Amino acid sequence: MILDVRGVSKTFSGPNKTKTVASDNLSFQIRVGEIFGLLGHNGAGKTTLANQILGLVTPDQGDIDLLGKSVLQFPARSRDICSVQPQSQVPLGFLTPAQAVMLMGKMRAGKAFDPKRMEMLFEALDMGKWVNTEGMKLSGGARRLTAFCMAVIVPGKLVILDEPTNDVDPVRRRYLWDVIRGLTKDGTSVILVTHNVQEAEKAVDRVAILHQGRFLVQGTPAEVKQSVENLMRVEISAAGDPEAIGVPSWAVDSRRSGDRLLFSIDQSVVPLAVNWAREQAEAGAIIDYSLSPTTIEDVYVKLTSGKELNGHAELAGAV
Amino acid sequence: MQSLLGQYKYVFQLQFFRNSGFYMFFALIQILIAIGIVIGFTYLMPEPDTSGVLFLATGAPTIILIITGLVILPQQIGTSKSDGYMEFMRTWPVKRYVILGADTSLWLIITIPGIVISSVIAHLVYSPGYDISWTVIPALLMIALTSIGVGYGFSYLLSPTASLGLSQVIVFGALMFSPVNFPMERLPEWLQTLHTVLPIYSMAEIMRASLAASTFSAGIGHYINLTIWCVLGYGGAAYILSKK
Repeated sequence: MILDVRGVSKTFSGPNKTKTVASDNLSFQIRVGEIFGLLGHNGAGKTTLANQILGLVTPDQGDIDLLGKSVLQFPARSRDICSVQPQSQVPLGFLTPAQAVMLMGKMRAGKAFDPKRMEMLFEALDMGKWVNTEGMKLSGGARRLTAFCMAVIVPGKLVILDEPTNDVDPVRRRYLWDVIRGLTKDGTSVILVTHNVQEAEKAVDRVAILHQGRFLVQGTPAEVKQSVENLMRVEISAAGDPEAIGVPSWAVDSRRSGDRLLFSIDQSVVPLAVNWAREQAEAGAIIDYSLSPTTIEDVYVKLTSGKELNGHAELAGAV
Repeated sequence: MQSLLGQYKYVFQLQFFRNSGFYMFFALIQILIAIGIVIGFTYLMPEPDTSGVLFLATGAPTIILIITGLVILPQQIGTSKSDGYMEFMRTWPVKRYVILGADTSLWLIITIPGIVISSVIAHLVYSPGYDISWTVIPALLMIALTSIGVGYGFSYLLSPTASLGLSQVIVFGALMFSPVNFPMERLPEWLQTLHTVLPIYSMAEIMRASLAASTFSAGIGHYINLTIWCVLGYGGAAYILSKK
């Protein structure tokens, strides 16, 4: 066990005596070599939780054990064990990616720093043409990748990545996931903080959905999907206005995402849905369609949409 | 964790390369300000005499150290607070005071060219009567550390906007209303009283006594005053840095 978080709560006081509950009795564990996804809306309390693990924020209640010792008692030890990619862009100033990554590596490993690993990282992420460009001249994606490399050049026992794929192009995102996977082979554990649910689903071993400071659900992706009804998902791309297509009567619920329409359907109506979609496609109303099992994104949207704090108790209880 | 020396080395390099362009710019600006004070302020005097010029020439280094520690540094801290760099530094696997130490050394280094070049120029143009004592090194260090320490203290404690405002007041106050470039007696009594508590007068007196030892001297009270301010400044900064 790398990390054991037990009953952690943290409330921030804002102006005019407002109170924000950032962590509400959170408990979870992370095992060696595991990728743990922390999903949630903006402001759900993900970064606060990460900062508590790092010893940067002290919980009001609860305790956090990192490799068997309390973070509350030894906060500086946490920064030695964990390496971090922060959510905000790291302002590199005049630093080039090569300088930034090398110095961060030396800060962690000293003379044991291995420049070959840096070359390997730059190559794996296809960053070659930027490595000697000053940070202020780099694109957002290149800067994000540099911050990622700074976090993993000499990875601690636990790597915390806060929105690592933001601003990164789709091709390099895939490289990035490969590198993250590679980290765990050496026994490093990863906490992946993100609101990009679709991507996270493929990468994580276990996942927790955080909403208004509470875990709505946590477990393996399969377990999390079972927490909602065992539905299938139909996704269609509309040729024209998606509203014109309408919601078929056999859809349990529907939502729209740009030009795409997503229906949740019961297993028993799958043939009906396929027939309907084929007819729509032949009529030219839709461009394409797909049928798939429920994704974590579906679970996420279902659990977090319109749920205020009162509704949480029963949901959390049901999981 | 690395040895303290190792930590210091890499934090110093990281901070230096990150800000190298800015440092170059600041060092250049300070050379210009220092020369500007020595030469430009003589235009304010109807008949500049040697003692007046000596005041300016021995006051300019103090102004440089005040501007660096109490104006430029707080602006930089304000920026790194708002762009998230401060938060990022807090995650580094190094002791927090190592970061403070490395940054202090960098700020100290960028003041040197301005002080040296303006003094050489003042000597060549006016020969105002420099008499540099060995105490110049500890004096410079002490004044710089106080200025940088106090700058850290208030820019960590205050919001970026408040510390920006305060630094504007300080630069104006130090140039026009402080006994750095002219004798204390010219100020109204209430300002004189205020300056016995504030660190600026003590900085100026200690600097003068080191640069023109045969003309000026500084009492032990000034050294005590600066030490207190220095400890207060770094203490405040250390308190904020370790706060969670």
